[in-house]
Amino acid sequence: MEAIAGWWDDYFWASIVVFKVFIASLLFMVLFGLIGAMAKLSNNRIAQKLASAYTIVFRGTPEILVILLLYFGSAIALTSIAQVFNPDIKFLDVPPFWAGTFAISVIVGSYATETFRGAFLGVDPGHVEAARALGLSDFQSFIHVRIPEMWRIALPPFGNHMLSLVKDTALISIIGLNETLFVAKQATSFTGKPFVMYILVGCIYLAFSTVITLTVMGFEKFGNRHLKEAL
Amino acid sequence: MTESVALIFDSVLKMLVGLGMTLQLLIISSGLGLILAVILLLMRISGKWYLNLPAQIYIYIFRGTPILVQIFIIYYGLPQFEFIRDSIFWPILREGYGCAIVALFLNSGAYTSEILRGGVLAVDQGLLEAASALGMSKPQRFLYILTPIATRISLPAYSNEFISMLKSTSLASTITVADMTGIGRTIVAQTFAPYEIFLSLAIIYMILTFFIQRSFGWIENRLSRYTKKLGIS
Repeated sequence: MEAIAGWWDDYFWASIVVFKVFIASLLFMVLFGLIGAMAKLSNNRIAQKLASAYTIVFRGTPEILVILLLYFGSAIALTSIAQVFNPDIKFLDVPPFWAGTFAISVIVGSYATETFRGAFLGVDPGHVEAARALGLSDFQSFIHVRIPEMWRIALPPFGNHMLSLVKDTALISIIGLNETLFVAKQATSFTGKPFVMYILVGCIYLAFSTVITLTVMGFEKFGNRHLKEAL
Repeated sequence: MTESVALIFDSVLKMLVGLGMTLQLLIISSGLGLILAVILLLMRISGKWYLNLPAQIYIYIFRGTPILVQIFIIYYGLPQFEFIRDSIFWPILREGYGCAIVALFLNSGAYTSEILRGGVLAVDQGLLEAASALGMSKPQRFLYILTPIATRISLPAYSNEFISMLKSTSLASTITVADMTGIGRTIVAQTFAPYEIFLSLAIIYMILTFFIQRSFGWIENRLSRYTKKLGIS
C-alpha cells in the first residue's frame, strides 16, 4: 500500500482525464448516433447506404486499429499540410485526447445508431397518430409524444454504450493519453510494484462503471414510474 | 502509387501470417470462456446465495473493467509475486500469448454467462412445467428442455459476443503477441505508412467478421428450422 503513497495525485488527475474523455465522447457519440439513425430512417437511398456502411465498418474493426489509424493518420495529414507553410516542421500531431475521443465516439456511435433507430421504430405509431388527431403539430407530437417514449426504450442499451465508452478510454493510453493506465505504467517503472498499480486502475474503472450503472438504473426507474402505478 | 500498392501487397502477406495467431486466440479463449460461462450460469441459477453471489461479483468485476486493464494486471502485475513464479501456471503466465488467452477467456466467460442467462430466463415456463408434469427430473429438464431452447435464443447475442472477442484479440498486440495487429504495428513502426497498413488490416478484420456473422446465421437457421415448419417463432 505504501507503494502508492506518492502517486495518489497522479491517479486523481488521470481519473479527471478519463472523466473528460467520457463527457466529450458522450456528446460526440450521441451526435454520430443521431446522424446515423436519421440517415437510416430517411427515404434517401444514398444516406441509407452510407449509414449502413458506417455501422458495418465500425462493428467489424477492432477499436485499437481505429484509434491508431486516426491518430497516426491525422498526424501524417497535419504534418504534410504544415510542411507546405513551414518546411522546417518535422512532426505535428493531433493531441491524443482529441484523436482518441473522436475515435471511440465514432465506434460507439455506430452502435448507438442502431439503438436510436430501434427506439424510433419502437414507438407505437398509434400514439403519434392520436397526437396528430388531437391537433398537435408535427413538432409538438415529436416533442411531447415521440421523445418521451423513445428515451425510455433507448435507455438500457444506451447505458451499455456509455460503459463501452468508459472502458474504451483505457485504449487511448496506447497513443499516449495521460490517463490512469498510462500513470500505472510510469508508476510501475518507478516502484517496481506493478500489481498494486494496475489493480488500482481496475478499481478506478470499476468505480466509473458502477456510477454509470447506478445512474442509468435511477433514470430507468424514473422513466418507467408510470408503469408501476398502473399495475 | 505503385510503391504503396507493393507495400500493401507485401504487408498483407506478412500480416496474414498473424491470422493463425488471431484465430488461435479467438477460438481457444472463446472455448474456455464458454466452459467458464456455463459454470457461472449454473452458479447463478442454482438458487443458492453462496454460489450465486460469488458468480455475480465475478461478472460485475470483469464486465466493469476494460479488457486492456485485465490483460495488463495479468501480464505485468502477477509476476510480481514469488508464489506465482513458482507455481505450475508460470509457463503459461510467463508469455504474452498465455496471458492474453487467460485474460480473454476470463473476460468472455463473464459476458457469455450473462448472455446465456438471458436465454435461460427467456424460456417459456410452461414448457418446463409440462416437462415436470411428464415426470422428468430436474437434470433431465435442464438437459432436454432448457438447454436446446436457451441455446437457440441466446445464439444471436452470442454471435455479437464472438465478434467482439475477435476485436479484443487485437489487444494482445500490446503485450508482444504477434497477431495480425501486432505484425501490422511493427510494419507501421518500420515504414510509417499507417494509412496503407491499418486500412488493409481493418479490411481483413471486416472480412473475418462477415464470415463469422454468416456462419452464426447458418447455425441459427439450422437450430430454428422446426419453428419455420410449424410457423411459430
